[in-house]
Amino acid sequence: MKTGSFKFHVLYGLFGLLMGGTLARIGFADYDQVHRMFIFADMRLLFTFGGAVLFAGAVFAVLRGHLPYHNKTLQPGTVPGSMLFGAGWAICGACPSIVFVQLGQGRLPALATLLGILFGVVLHKWAHARFFRWDTGTCGV
Amino acid sequence: MELVTGYWPWWIGALALGGVTIGFTLLIGRPLGVSGSWSKVIGWREERKLAKNAAAIQPGSEAAHDAFLAATLAEFGEMGLADVDDAGDTNTKAPAGAAKAQTIPWTAHLVFLFCMFLGGFLATYLAGNFQLHFELSALHTRFAGGQWQSWAALLFGGMMVGFGTQMAGGCTSGHGLSGCSRLATASLIATMSFFGTAVAVSFFVEVLAR
Repeated sequence: MKTGSFKFHVLYGLFGLLMGGTLARIGFADYDQVHRMFIFADMRLLFTFGGAVLFAGAVFAVLRGHLPYHNKTLQPGTVPGSMLFGAGWAICGACPSIVFVQLGQGRLPALATLLGILFGVVLHKWAHARFFRWDTGTCGV
Repeated sequence: MELVTGYWPWWIGALALGGVTIGFTLLIGRPLGVSGSWSKVIGWREERKLAKNAAAIQPGSEAAHDAFLAATLAEFGEMGLADVDDAGDTNTKAPAGAAKAQTIPWTAHLVFLFCMFLGGFLATYLAGNFQLHFELSALHTRFAGGQWQSWAALLFGGMMVGFGTQMAGGCTSGHGLSGCSRLATASLIATMSFFGTAVAVSFFVEVLAR
């Protein structure tokens, strides 16, 4: 399928719907639930996430050799960038996908998070072009 | 009833989230990753510039040939030019698999992000739980020290999320779900780093909120 086609846009959108719906129903967009996961007060979300990785991992192991190229490489920004993200996630209870789900659920303060992420990405684009210039292998080429 | 209105038990959530990851990877033909979509949507102008440049230097075009010759001359001098014609067309051949790798346009990424918002709304509305919230949670307001401080913390935290995920080359979906399920070393290290830091900061939040 051509990636520029209308059909591809619909398929991509369908996965957005499924992902948004799933994240909402497992409670990943609920600050209190996420906070309780991080302080190990409630293991439900941790099991959900771990279970999803195991399930996908098992299927991917079977389909080995038929999967799209994975471009995740260890680069100088992997650890500091992840630590910065982790701190931000604990503060606002949102990762780049969750913020949309929170807005969809009517959580208005997520507008501030959305604006913050927007600033952060733009700031990184500037800093990367000016100072880093390393290959981050970011998702979705 | 719990399944309709409440949060799903872990095993249903795991099957659904894992299923979305698998379906996305197989049908879209890319590993799942949301921070990449952010980057593409915000950098939509870069995509146009790249497409324009790519069209200008199509392999085999005269402009490309001249540019390569000039670059070779600058880098290696006259000596380098001696090998250029011998190399023939072999340099312009794309590596195996490259022909299949079409770029996903930024518009598709935008549709994906918007549909995530729509999915969140539909799932909540259909479960009968939709309502407007002016605070993220009572716990968050308590930890930040007030309502507007809570919004400020979200803005600041959001910036850390945006900058951090771009710097790390992935987020919960790209490194956590997609990368870890394929045992990519970088993703395993990234996931341990962001999860570990989030745990440490959350315990700090817990102390502040007390």
